[in-house]
Amino acid sequence: MRIVVAEDLYLLRDGLVRLVEAYGHQVVATAATGPETLDALLTWRPDVAVVDVRMPPTQSDEGLQAALAARREVPGLPVLILSQHVEQLYARELLADGAGGIGYFLKESVFDGDQFVDALERVAAGGTAMDPAVIGALVSSAPSNRRLDRLTGRESEVLGLMAEGLSNQAIAQRLFLSDSAIGKYTTSMFGKLGLTDDENGNRRVQAVLAYLHKP
Amino acid sequence: MGQPGSWIERAGVGFVRSCAVAAVTLAIPAVWAAAVALGMWWGPGNPWSWLLPVVLVGTGTLALARPVCRAVRLLVERWTGAVVPAGYRTPGPVSRMSTGYWWNGYGYERSRRDAVMDQSWRIRWSDPATWRDLRFTGIAPFTAGLAAAVPPAAVVVAVLGLLRPEPVARVLGALAAAAAVAVSPYAWRSVEPVAVRFLGPSAAMLLAQRVDELTAQRADVTVAQAAEIRRIERDLHDGAQAGLVALGLSLATAEKLMETDPERARALMRAARAGAASSLAELRDLVRGINPPLLNERGLVDAVRALALNSPLDVAVTADGPFRLEPPIESAVYFGIAELLTNATKHARATSVRIALGHSGTGIVVEVRDDGRGGAVAGGVPAGGGAPTGGRAAAGGGVPAGGGAVSDDGGGIAGLRRRLAVFDGTLELTSPVGGPTCAIMVVPCESL
Repeated sequence: MRIVVAEDLYLLRDGLVRLVEAYGHQVVATAATGPETLDALLTWRPDVAVVDVRMPPTQSDEGLQAALAARREVPGLPVLILSQHVEQLYARELLADGAGGIGYFLKESVFDGDQFVDALERVAAGGTAMDPAVIGALVSSAPSNRRLDRLTGRESEVLGLMAEGLSNQAIAQRLFLSDSAIGKYTTSMFGKLGLTDDENGNRRVQAVLAYLHKP
Repeated sequence: MGQPGSWIERAGVGFVRSCAVAAVTLAIPAVWAAAVALGMWWGPGNPWSWLLPVVLVGTGTLALARPVCRAVRLLVERWTGAVVPAGYRTPGPVSRMSTGYWWNGYGYERSRRDAVMDQSWRIRWSDPATWRDLRFTGIAPFTAGLAAAVPPAAVVVAVLGLLRPEPVARVLGALAAAAAVAVSPYAWRSVEPVAVRFLGPSAAMLLAQRVDELTAQRADVTVAQAAEIRRIERDLHDGAQAGLVALGLSLATAEKLMETDPERARALMRAARAGAASSLAELRDLVRGINPPLLNERGLVDAVRALALNSPLDVAVTADGPFRLEPPIESAVYFGIAELLTNATKHARATSVRIALGHSGTGIVVEVRDDGRGGAVAGGVPAGGGAPTGGRAAAGGGVPAGGGAVSDDGGGIAGLRRRLAVFDGTLELTSPVGGPTCAIMVVPCESL
């Protein structure tokens, strides 16, 4: 895959580049500021970009803004956001366009290279991958999410893992269930959420969106 | 208004009040008059006849000044609701030293009684409020006192006139009676502006009070800051630092085992990775407690929105326009909202909360309203109500956090008041038992 890495701290940027290159991917450009990031994303149109939230010049959410701006220009441009902290607010903003191709992780998720690169590949393929911390915060709050109230415990568990970006097969492994059982859960879940059958991948994104939004 | 009954009532009430004002404000001139009369009675022939009247005027004025001023303040507050702050200096504690002497803040005395007396005289003498009271006793009789004396004087004239047989005197008496009735409702009123103008604290006294307030606040802030820094140090020391040491140890051991026992080395490295992740999580929580990253990245409104998202309650946030505040103010307001939200969750057992951020002409106004069971007490001090002295009331309410019947949530509220008081901000809390609770924070700031 052709990857753009945007991160202002040299050590981290270098480490990220080495990590993805170790997995046989190619880093086509790196960026260290918000404007540079936007520029690199639009010039190189990478298969996926790894973007830090906080970057110079303002040290606010420059990276996030650059990613959102690039996705407005190129809908669905796959971006994986890395941050020292995860916020539901940011997750919602990233998912709001419903186009998929979004990942949002804590920086320490790179500790597990296999999983990180796996998530990167899923995002590049147009999927959604969220840090368990985002999902966990959501499960503990959002008591008033009425549409989700109708889901059974197992169904919302499956939905949570789906939001983390796991495939049906991976979910089945995690929950010690068969693939067909997961298929059954997802179908009934999609039904309860009112997501009609169009394209499977898109429906997964929609389900995650429903999961992340309070009514 | 137009009813004769109510008119008579107003005249009656006014007459009584006029008499009271006249009696209070003219008490000291009455002493002067008595002294002069005494001197004249004693006779100009005696070379020492001036002595007793002078002593009488001096001691009488000094002794009566404070009671008279207290009475005027009381009457004005009872009748018009206008609070005239007294601003008397309060005596400090008198304590016994190890030498057996008593220290009163000025000097040592042999007994507690002496120390207290010495202190009260010194305070009395140096307190600017004493001189202000004396000035008032000179001004009041010739302004409010004279005006208030009109109705009683008119009544005296009326009685005297009506008792005389001559028709002219009777007509005069009748006119005086009419004048007494007409003037009564108004005659006492001049005491309010006079008291507000001359009996309130002077600019210098206000300044001195403000300095005292700021000194107390500074001490508070310093203590709070030191405690906060200690907490951060302890958290870093026990958390991240210890975590990094463990990480280094694991890596060192893994390095050693790499050749001999690669399987154990791998396990150690996995453990090291998990340790690094948990250290990071600890650091993240610590950072959030110092200054939430979102506040830095997005400003107050989005940070509050994120708070709402993370709350287990149904929280609605409305904001009129963006707020660009100074970072310290932003942080104080943010943590204030967080504190109120926590209270709503933990103590009020609310299910929904509305947070409204808005501008007033001079600052930011934040209203946090829940649908809980209410009954929040702010550090034993009844909150709100003190509108004319808002800033002082808030600061004063915040300072003594300990003592008294401070409820569980009162401590948090007192801390919040203290944090806001640094910026001259106030917190008004209305929380009747049974709810709902409504808290309004106001922080003045120019940079809106």
